[in-house]
Amino acid sequence: MQLPRGDGRAASAAETARGGSGLATAYHALDDVVTRFALRDAALVVDVPSLGRQVLHAGRRPLHNDEQHLHHAQPGLYLDPPVDVPLLAEVMVAMTVLGFRLDAENPQSALA
Amino acid sequence: MSLDALELELRGLPGVFAVGFAEAEGVTIVELQAGPDACDELARDATLLACSRLVQPLAVEIVRWGDGPPAAPESRLRVLDVTTDPAAGELAVHLARGDERAVGRASTAHGLLSVVEATVYAVRTFLPRLPYLPGWARTVETTPDRRFLVLASVTDPEARSHLRGAAEGGTPLEGAVRATLAALNRTISREL
Repeated sequence: MQLPRGDGRAASAAETARGGSGLATAYHALDDVVTRFALRDAALVVDVPSLGRQVLHAGRRPLHNDEQHLHHAQPGLYLDPPVDVPLLAEVMVAMTVLGFRLDAENPQSALA
Repeated sequence: MSLDALELELRGLPGVFAVGFAEAEGVTIVELQAGPDACDELARDATLLACSRLVQPLAVEIVRWGDGPPAAPESRLRVLDVTTDPAAGELAVHLARGDERAVGRASTAHGLLSVVEATVYAVRTFLPRLPYLPGWARTVETTPDRRFLVLASVTDPEARSHLRGAAEGGTPLEGAVRATLAALNRTISREL
């Protein structure tokens, strides 16, 4: 599958990865997915060793009444409308877990 | 302190699985989604953290999901007293579990961190295998009626996990003891 060209946000996410927190990088990448696929919404569900199940909503927006029942969801990338790109989901989940781990090990990165 | 740091601290509160932010008419709304293992003090802890990190006005909304069976009643450690001995340069934290008592002592050389140390040592009387080490503590606010809001952190170096708690007290020392217990209580309650 050929991903459409980005609008520069991917470069921004990569820049965040160099000097920002793991959490900020994950949100940047998630927002970039929304933009590139012209989605209405996106969320990530991950299992973090020290935190348990965690849900990230694009744009850091509240889940409100969680109409997608993400609080019950298995780890993965949840896109609205659905887009079937398994590798993207795997990479996003792995990167986000790694980001949480890095932030736990280096809290100063989250202070930047 | 960045929004990332606040979000990470909020996600570190027991039971919290999602954090979101919104703005409405000049008010920052912090929404937490929490599972059945969230503690009763979640709203208070989250509000104290948010107030210490964000420019006000703000509101904290908690969405609780009550899946699963009711949680078992929790055992909690109680604060009995915090005493200082200036001549010896030492402070003592007195805790209780039911009728049992424990005292943790530490040098006063490290300010509020000494209180966290003494509290952790006292907790170890009940839980010798407690993996958490003292991290830091600081007073984040003093209220007009001279109550002290304190944040405290403890760290499990092996699991690389941090627990943070917030509490207030009549003195910074009392606030630091209560904040340390607020950080630990939910995790240790199953073993008490």
